[in-house]
Amino acid sequence: MAHLTKGQRLPEKRNFGSSFPFDDFGQLDGVRGEGDVNTSVISGAYGGFSNTWGAQTMVYSAASFVDWPFSRDELEPDYRAILSSIPYAGERDDLEEYFPLWGPADPLPPLSDNATRILERYRRHRLQVRRHGVILGKSRLALKGSSCVSCGLCLTGCPYSYVYSASHTFDDLILSQRVEYVAGFAAEEVGEEGERPYVVAREIATGARETFRADRVFLACGAIGTTRLVASSLEMWSQPIHLQESAQFLMPLASIRGSKRLSQDDSFTLNQFNILMPFDEAGRDLVQIHGYPYNKSMDEALPAVLRTATTRFLGAMVLKHLTVGLGYLPSWWSPGFDVTIERPVAGAHSARVLITSDSKGDLLAAEKLRAINGRLMCVAPYLGVVPVVPMVSLSPPGKSYHYGGSFPHANDPVEGRETDLLGRLHPWRNVHLVDASAFPTVSATTFTLTIMANAHRIARAVAGSARG
Amino acid sequence: MAKPASVCVGITGAAGYLGSALDSALRANGIDVVQYRRTIPSSIDEPNVRFFELGRRPEPGTFEGVTCLVHAAWDLRETNQRRNWECNVEGSKRLLEAALGDGVQRFIFVSSMSAYFGTRQHYGIAKLAVERAVLEAHHVVVRPGLVYGGSPGGMALTLSKLARLPVIPVFPNARLFTAHVDDVVAALKTLALLPEVPSSVLGLAHETSTPFPTLMRALATEVGSTSPTLPVPWHPLLLALRAAEKIGVPLPVRSDSLLGLVRGPQDLPGRALTAELGLEFRPFPQGLAGSFDAV
Repeated sequence: MAHLTKGQRLPEKRNFGSSFPFDDFGQLDGVRGEGDVNTSVISGAYGGFSNTWGAQTMVYSAASFVDWPFSRDELEPDYRAILSSIPYAGERDDLEEYFPLWGPADPLPPLSDNATRILERYRRHRLQVRRHGVILGKSRLALKGSSCVSCGLCLTGCPYSYVYSASHTFDDLILSQRVEYVAGFAAEEVGEEGERPYVVAREIATGARETFRADRVFLACGAIGTTRLVASSLEMWSQPIHLQESAQFLMPLASIRGSKRLSQDDSFTLNQFNILMPFDEAGRDLVQIHGYPYNKSMDEALPAVLRTATTRFLGAMVLKHLTVGLGYLPSWWSPGFDVTIERPVAGAHSARVLITSDSKGDLLAAEKLRAINGRLMCVAPYLGVVPVVPMVSLSPPGKSYHYGGSFPHANDPVEGRETDLLGRLHPWRNVHLVDASAFPTVSATTFTLTIMANAHRIARAVAGSARG
Repeated sequence: MAKPASVCVGITGAAGYLGSALDSALRANGIDVVQYRRTIPSSIDEPNVRFFELGRRPEPGTFEGVTCLVHAAWDLRETNQRRNWECNVEGSKRLLEAALGDGVQRFIFVSSMSAYFGTRQHYGIAKLAVERAVLEAHHVVVRPGLVYGGSPGGMALTLSKLARLPVIPVFPNARLFTAHVDDVVAALKTLALLPEVPSSVLGLAHETSTPFPTLMRALATEVGSTSPTLPVPWHPLLLALRAAEKIGVPLPVRSDSLLGLVRGPQDLPGRALTAELGLEFRPFPQGLAGSFDAV
């Protein structure tokens, strides 16, 4: 199966030209990969990777929870609580059959020419498209849709802060004095004395170590950051820990009719529509492809031969017909990868992280990609858009940023390998893993909203028990 | 089964084959029924007959007082795909929302055996889309098999007309799940009256499907026909029907209906639950005798 070569990969996103969400402030010390894996896997930024995310905000389908120790119904109040506290834009359409809109949503800003045409053709030929197992609908985004001015700058940094970032929530919490934010520290150890938890953190500027104590500790360093912190604290050295990843694939989609003009103005440049492919009746085996319209960074992604002064018009012609599809496979069809935590080398502060992936899962992923291509080829005449099959390729392990499951929730957790329903790993009672490290599986639906909802569920339960 | 306190069953498509049979059975058991019809004849002056049309947004309060709504309406008149979807699928979703908004506690959607995962029949795809909405709302979906018996309507009536032809076309490898109308009505009544029914998809049919040639021979016997059967390859017939539809030739059977006959589901959904609920279905052709006497 084709993997994206370094030259073909999507460029790392920037926020107002800055790479700060990916920069190493010390949190990436000792993180290395074997083979072609992504190693920018822990963010040290305030707000983390949510500073650059795609803002896709969808609940998991109900059937996604069949492998989980609780149902979507149990998570529904938490999904609703999150959706009522972040900006939310989306519209009623066929995607509701799997992903309900919970709570009031803003309408989306106007879509690009290509996205509008594809969705209109879907409505016109809906039955022919659906009979091939393809469903389309508009994106659902953590975006202030009603305020959006369609300046098209979403992917390089919204000047109005209309695209949600976790930093917005922290700003509010800090401003209202509900949270004391201690910046400039890297957590190095977590544990409990008696049942009282603590975190040992190193001040990055001075190297001084400080111990923070609390009644409860909630870990949300991102799946790999949390895995490192937990595994090193419990001295789980040199044991490969498998992380499940919803593998990402790039699927360029060529429209038969192109846009009239090449501009990112008058629209928004986040994902505009979703192509959903159910592979089972219950709605567990779902594949999703997000359709991104033209944005200026695509100019630079063109082959050099289409960027010269004389060939630029050809490049523009290509881009007028192009929609970038970013697809996701569920974790059970994806290769995933292992993370091995090693003792820090002498003089270093952080435990080392080795990320490795074998190609065992590639065959299954390749088989599924062929099925996806097949379905899209069948509906191409109806949607007026064709997948550029030779360019469909899987991103390297870790690149989707949709990974987790190192210490999955379980009803009857295996000691040291699984967490209980409150994200607690034996022997801890008051340390809770609340990020995707506790996910039993990773569906192809983008998972940030589910991480937030699950963290809310745990916090709600803990707060409830504290109140008695 | 005793009538539970304050149960009122609403039926959309109450004038149809299944809807009217369910209406009669419930009334015979002393259960309050509200019929929803798109046309209300002037001869009917009953408070329990209310206007409802799938293509229109129901007025608030349309389902007031109804505790369980059986949605059996489906408008087959519209041949334009987009308008058909708008009427039936979007209309059913609006109905579900309105019914739940009016306090309906249980919504039972009468889907179809054509609505199985992977179906290529347009009718089945549309029904599947409504099924998803109903299941997302935690309510109940039933897929009756080919309903026969009583005063036949729907596909059973169409097939009985084919059985009267001088040569009866049959599709050798096709099989259909069948259900006697009384059994389907009894199942719907049970589902409407039980205090708890899990949200699920239930196939309402006898567990063994009937070969299409067997079914046609039984129908022929019942309508008094001695015509020979002729195995017909369905692919060319499907193409011919589609071509005729393209040029607007009116036909007794739609190409989409033919697909439903020849490419049915392999399995009956929800068998464990139907058994647990005690829903029983007689094998075909039990109960067929006398069905067509008045036709």
